[in-house]
Order: sequence, then C-alpha cells, then structure tokens
Amino acid sequence: MASYALRRLGTVLVILAVMSLLVFLATHALPASTAAMILGQYSTPETLAALEHKLGLDLPLWLQYWNWLRAMLHGDMGQSLVMERPVAPMLWDAFGRSAILALCAMAIVATVGVAMGVVAGVWRGRWPDHAVSIFAYLGIAVPEFYWGLVLILVFCSTFHLLPSSGIGNLSDGVGSYVSYLILPVITLTLTLLAHVSRLTRSSMAEQLDSMYVKVARARGLPEHVVIVRHALPNAMVPTITVLAQDFGFLIGGIVAIETVFAYPGLGRLLIFALQRQDLPLMQAAILTLTAVFCLANLGADLLYGIANPRIRHGGAVE
Amino acid sequence: MNDALLEIRNLTVRYPGTTAVRDVAFQLQPGEALGIVGESGSGKSSIAGAILKSLGASARIAGEIAFEGRDLLRLSRADHRAVLGRRIGAVFQDPFTALNPARRVGGQIAEPMVRHLGAEPAHAMQRAIVLLRDMGIHRAEEVAHAFPHQLSGGMKQRTLIAAALACEPSLLILDEPTTALDVTVEAQILRLLARLRQQKRVSLLFISHNLGVVRRLCDSVAVMYASQFVELGRVGDVLEQPAHPYSKGLLASRPSLRAASRGSRLSAIQGQMPSAPRPEAGCVFAARCPFAEPRCTGGEQSLILTAPGHAARCWKAKTLGDWPRLAVEGTDLGEFRPGNALVNTNRLRKSFTMRRGMAAWRPSLANRWPRFRYQPTQVAAVDGVSLTISPGEVLGLVGESGCGKSTLGRLALRLLNCTDGSVEFDGADVGRLSGTDLSAFRKQAQIVFQNVGSSLNPRLSVGEALERPLVLFGLAKPRERRQRVEELLEMVRLPASYRLRYPHQLSGGERQRVAIARALASEPRFVVCDEPVSALDVSVQAAIVNLLADLRDRFGLAYLFISHDLAVVAQISDRVAVMYRGRICETGTPAELLAAPRHPYTRLLLAAAADESPTAEPSADIGAGATGCTFASRCPRRLPSICDTTVPTLRPVTSAHAVACHLDPIAKQQCGTIATASIPP
Repeated sequence: MASYALRRLGTVLVILAVMSLLVFLATHALPASTAAMILGQYSTPETLAALEHKLGLDLPLWLQYWNWLRAMLHGDMGQSLVMERPVAPMLWDAFGRSAILALCAMAIVATVGVAMGVVAGVWRGRWPDHAVSIFAYLGIAVPEFYWGLVLILVFCSTFHLLPSSGIGNLSDGVGSYVSYLILPVITLTLTLLAHVSRLTRSSMAEQLDSMYVKVARARGLPEHVVIVRHALPNAMVPTITVLAQDFGFLIGGIVAIETVFAYPGLGRLLIFALQRQDLPLMQAAILTLTAVFCLANLGADLLYGIANPRIRHGGAVE
Repeated sequence: MNDALLEIRNLTVRYPGTTAVRDVAFQLQPGEALGIVGESGSGKSSIAGAILKSLGASARIAGEIAFEGRDLLRLSRADHRAVLGRRIGAVFQDPFTALNPARRVGGQIAEPMVRHLGAEPAHAMQRAIVLLRDMGIHRAEEVAHAFPHQLSGGMKQRTLIAAALACEPSLLILDEPTTALDVTVEAQILRLLARLRQQKRVSLLFISHNLGVVRRLCDSVAVMYASQFVELGRVGDVLEQPAHPYSKGLLASRPSLRAASRGSRLSAIQGQMPSAPRPEAGCVFAARCPFAEPRCTGGEQSLILTAPGHAARCWKAKTLGDWPRLAVEGTDLGEFRPGNALVNTNRLRKSFTMRRGMAAWRPSLANRWPRFRYQPTQVAAVDGVSLTISPGEVLGLVGESGCGKSTLGRLALRLLNCTDGSVEFDGADVGRLSGTDLSAFRKQAQIVFQNVGSSLNPRLSVGEALERPLVLFGLAKPRERRQRVEELLEMVRLPASYRLRYPHQLSGGERQRVAIARALASEPRFVVCDEPVSALDVSVQAAIVNLLADLRDRFGLAYLFISHDLAVVAQISDRVAVMYRGRICETGTPAELLAAPRHPYTRLLLAAAADESPTAEPSADIGAGATGCTFASRCPRRLPSICDTTVPTLRPVTSAHAVACHLDPIAKQQCGTIATASIPP
C-alpha cells in the first residue's frame, strides 16, 4: 500500500510540473505583454524596454519560467495587474469560498447519488429505477447554468424565498449564510447526480448478479445484509474513482455557476482575470485549479486502494 | 418412509417457453448421498435452485419439497431464510467468484453463525478457524484473516465448504463443486467431502456432469436428461448395469484411462439434447437412441422398476443389450511409426514480465530519500521445452491449469514469440520467417481453441467464417468458395445448410465443429488443439474426439493435443508429454505412461484421475524450484541435496519413454555418472 501511495504521489508531482510549464507557456503566447499592460497609455518603446528589463521579461524564456516557478513554490504569486494588489491573499479568499461550494455539492452527490444508484440497482426495471433514471437524465441533459436560471426564477423571482446572488456574511447568522449557498449547491449537484447514480446503479446491478451474492443468499442472510454488507462495498469501488473525477468536473461547473449566481469564488476570479488579461492572476488561478484537480485524483486513487483489498493487501497466503 | 430428510414430490420448474424440471421425485435419507448427473441444460441445477429459491422471478415452481417435515415451497421468505445456511448448506461450481472479494475469508465463514446461531462475532471467528483446520488447511488463522484473492482455487473451495458447514446443517447441496478445479485438487476436495460426510453425518445432494466423481462420493444416483429423471438407483447398479439407453451411452462415451489403438473410436451419442422437450409425445431420448423403435414415440414414458431399488424411464429397459461399440473404421492401423520431425521445438523458453512500466518502478526508502528502481518481475511460463512431432503424429500435452501448456501451443505456432530457443517447422526456423514464408507457415499450421463461445466471430455466419481463410490464403476462386465451404462442412459432418447460420444458432459441439473446419480450410499439416473438448459435455466430447481422429487419418494431420484430461489425451495421442510449471517432466506412449509412470507428478495425475492413493499437497510458492526441480515442493520422494539445487533433464528410459527426475533408477543408470556425482556421500 505504501509503495502504491508513493507511486501515485510521484505521478501527481510529474503532472503538476508539466501543467505549470504548459500554463506558463500558454499565458506567454497571449498577445498582451505584461509590461504593456502595466504602462497602458504611457507606453513608449523606451519605457517598455526599461520595464521589461526591470521585470525580467527580457531574460531567456526558460530562465523566466524558472524564476516564476521558484516564486510560485515560495507562495509568491506576483502582483495582480488590474487590481494592483498581491495575487495570493485574493486567491486564497476566493479559493476558500469556492471550496465551501464544492465540498457541499460533493457531499450531497456522494450520499444522495450513491443512495439513488443503490435504489435503482436493487429495484432494477421497476418504478424506482425508472424514476431515478428520468431524474438523473433531466439533470444531465442541459448545461448546468440552465438549472441555475430555473432555480433563480422559481425561488427568487416568483416566491422570494432565497437570495439570487452574492454571498452571505457569517456575522448575519448561519441561516443567512447558508441561504446564499443553497441554490448554487443544488445546481452543481443536479448535473453530477446523474453520473454517479447511473454508475452506482450498473455496478450495484452487476454485483447483485454475482456468484458471491448468490452464495450469501444461500446462507440465509436477509436481503438488506446482502445488499449493504456484501454487494455495496464492491459496488462502491468504481464509484469512488468516478466521484473524484467528478470533483474535477465540479471545478469546471463552478466557473459557470459562480458567474450565474455572482458568487465571488475562484471561478469568477478566473473569468475576471481572463477578461482583463491579468496574466499573474490567470496563471495562479489556473495552477490552483489544476492542483486541486490532481489532488482530488490522488485522493481517489488512495481511496480506491483502501476500498480494494487486492491493492491494500498484496501477495498470496499459502 | 416418513423419516426421509428431504422428500421431493412432483417438482416441476417452468420458465417462459420451456420446462427445466418435470415431475421430479426422490427421497434423501439422513446421512445419505445422492448424485444427480446430467449434461448442461438437463435441468439438474434447477433442482438445487428450487430448494434454495434462487431461480429468479421468471421461474414457476410447482410440487412439494419436504425438508425436515416442512414444505420449503410453502414457507414464508423469512422462514425459508432461517433454514438456508442453518439446516441446508450450499456449495457452488466456481470458487473463484463465490467469495466476496472485499471481505476477509474468516468473516465470511463466521457470518452465518452470527446470523443463525446468535454467536458473538469473536467467538464465531474462533469457530471459523477451527472449521478451516477441519477442512485440512494448515495455517488456518492466517487464511481466516486473508482476502479471497490471496488464496488458490482449492483453498477457496475449502473455505466455501467450511462456510456451508458452519451451522452444522443436515443437508449439503453441492452444485458441480469440483468442475472448475484441477484433477489433483478435485481429488483432495472429494476426499475431504467423503470424510466430512462420515464425521458430521451430513446428507449430500451432489449435482455433477461427471459420472466418475459421483461414483466416488454417492450412495445413489439419478441420471437426468431433458428435464426428467431417466434413471434412478444405487450408484453401483446404475454405473455397472445402466438400464436406460442414455445412461448406457453416457458411460460408454467416457474415455477410459487406457491406451487406445489408432483405429479405435469412442462410443458417441448422436445428435443433441432437445431444448424444449415434449415427453407427452414419446420418449425424449428416442431421436438419439440406437434401440429406438416406433413404439417409443407412442406416448409418455414412465419410470419402471428394472430391479429392486433401480428404475429407468424406458419401457424396454429390461431387454436392452450394451450400447453399440462404434465399428473401427478400416483395418487397425497399428502403432504409429514416427518419421522425420515436422515440428521441432528446441529448448523453447517464454518468460512474461508480470510487473512493468510505471508499476515496475518500486520505491524504497533507503537513506531517508525515496528512491525508485526499475524491477520488472519475470515469470517463465515455458522453460526449456524440447519436443518433436512427426507428420501425422498426435502429441498429447497434459498438465494442470497454469503449467504453460497453452503458451507452448501458441509458441509452436508463433502466435507468441519465444524469449529463447527456437521452433522449427519442416526444417525452417519459424522465428526467422517473414513475408510469404511466414504466410506459407500460417497456412500449414493452424489452431483450434477451447472456448467455442468466443473463438467464432458472432457477426460472421458460418459460411463467412469458413471463407475467411480461403480468401486470406488465396485458396479458392470466388466462384469455387461456396463449394469449398460445403466440402469443409461435410468434412466435420455438418449439413451444408449450416453455411447460413450464425454462431449463436449453434450448439457447443456444432461450434467446435465449425472451428475445426475453419482450421482445416487452409489444408494445414499441423494443428494445435488447445483443450478442444474441455468445455463440452461428455457425449459431445466423444464425437469431437472421434472427428479429430478421423480427420487425422484422412489427411495425415499432426496434432499437438493439449488437455488437462489424461483419459482424453490417452485416447487420441500417439505420444504424451506431461508438463509441470513450464517444464516437461515425462514423455512416452500412452501405454507406457498409464501402465508404468515414472515421474512422481505423472503418478500423482494418474492417481487423482483414478482416485487411488493419497496425493501430494499442492503448494503455490512459485519461487521454489527455480534452481532445482519445479516439482520438488510437492514431491513425496524429494531429496533436498539434489532436487532443490539441480534442474533434472529428460533422460531416456526406453526408445519413446523419457523422464526428468533425479530419483528414477532406470534413467539414472543410463546417465549414472551425472546423477550420482551430484549426490553427496
């Protein structure tokens, strides 16, 4: 298990290194030059050259990358060009707000999605299965912002039950704070429920048809024991991997959802940076998202190892 | 006779469109063992399914299953569950999937005790360990804490038997419990079951396709054919003096452990079992029965008593003679005389890398910093095998699963490239062939696979499948292809109309015939038959073996006939090679190997097939034997000083007989100096 974990960690480090290079090169391919953006209307060839020298932009590309990477590793993400503030604190605030959204959505997807899948798998071909399928497909069939708009229409414009945008303040009480989270979280959840519940359904159905379930039933175990203690642990193995992959998908979804609900998280910050061509902010935001994605997958691999005894316990006992 | 433990009356199981079990009735006394024997599809497993209520929603069950005085079919679900695992234990065919892979073995044995007897989990676990020891497992505690993937097949089946017996049931249902296991492991499991039956006074309902296995374990036997019991009686009576024609045919078509002459054939049952039998229209076996006459199809047959305690579903059962022996075709061809080698393998070796790529980089934490080293694991599947096959010769290759026999077959055809050594075909090194030479070799050397379900493309009709080699090797002009396809079908005794059928419309035996026809389409001289009959029922198996023998004689084909079944190999082979863990341990004619086996492993295989003497425990420490004899860890006669250190080479005993064993006296005499020099005084 330790060697397995170390191997996965090594893979993640390689991916992060490659990603940092790609992000650096991609942002450098953009038409805007950092120095030109800072100078704006005061840009003349002389001032431009002087500032580029000062910022190290006239150095060879690999040296620029090295300097940038070293600064990044020390937590120095540079200065936002548009906001004229250090990137790091801004990014961490936004990251924290997004993390709350993502974790709430993930928790709901993991519990409700798996439960829906188990119900559909156990009552295969009967009405609970069809109900889950229809609900799941409705969720996945349209882009995530569509449900966001529908929810705003119903809960905010028509019934005025929940706030439509922004973020609550904890000093106004937990209830108020949570009320701002409800709609974005539900919207994020809807798209992922389909994926998780369909997968759990098919792997549950497969496990229930397996030989060891037939044997467990032949031992006179009640059906709920057969389902929960025998079939479910095995059915969860592929689901766990997909949950972590969905976490990456969720990060993509967050960019759209935060825009719809005007939620000041990482996704909205990234869109802002892209629109204003704020290179340091853009690089830091993309790299953060990449790191989260990689770590989520690392977590998935480790969970998979824990759930799967073939990986957790290696060789033969004879 | 109300003291019967299990009494089944008029049991009928229907599925939409077919009847799986029809009017089955029998009694099982306490402590008795009843075998139910039949081919796949005969309905024998549906009887077990009806008792266990595991048949699924589409099955309609009628009749009465009285167990310990209560009708199981009329019990509520909860009451029925209280009987399962508590009073009735069940063991199924495939031990490889029957254990939950996510849970420790001990917990799975303890679970029924916790559930049914209300035992404390810790106490149940202790009981589980005792039970495992009862099953002949030495390191029971370790096994109890292991996960299923860490155990061998035989070990898994032992733990499953332990779990079935955990609550000391009075009835144990065994549904093909040894079919998926190697013969030596099968013999151990059968001995274990026989011992448990004595010790625990448990009744057995033993379902199997294998008459020989039933003979070893059961008191009485029921023969099932097309949803009905066709014969019922004491094991000795039914197997020695079968009364029903089907039982006679089934027994006659079984190859015996005897060397057969080239001209002899197995007795086969013609045709196949009807999928939707209609017994009201007459005997269900009449279409395949050599004794049939018009009266047989006049109406429903009933079980009649042929002797006390022996009944058969055939109105003329008392007057029948023996199953007709198949006439030997032509004159006896005599013993085969090998000519120049057609296929010659020379110290052939194939090793596989078990762990490679990213996974082979193993981290170690020496000197505080993690270090990664590239350490691929090599396993030799075939290790220095030299064999020759002459034109027209059949070389049988026997061994347990995983011994490398299939790999050897693939190496001989260059479907795999060897790691070391060489294969010569007709004097040319197959490894160096390329372009047209390689294509010419492929045309002359073909293969028939075991799995008839997946070796034919489901999207191609039989005709299209048979045309493929004709097109590939440019063997027939487009206009002649259809005629050639029909010739090929005729060759394997299938009607020409089968040209238009698809694989799913064929039975297992018919599919194997098509696969053989496809191999023969390019007019090869050498065919590797890789377990060609292992997946088939006994009666079908006999017909396929006969067909292969006929084709050999007609076209002078040479076969490498790979099988785990010594009896089948002895039937068709001119010479047999016994393989163990990548090496050949003995070769000789079937007569020599069967009458005077010299290698301990050959003796073990023979004893297991005949169930005579105690056999050596299998062990799975793959690493052992790498420097010495691969069989040393299982060998009852092992001499550590030499067997663990020196690889034995094949040494001749007679002109055709050779053995690779340090301890063989005759082989030792021939090469006395080498063998004795290595043994310290």
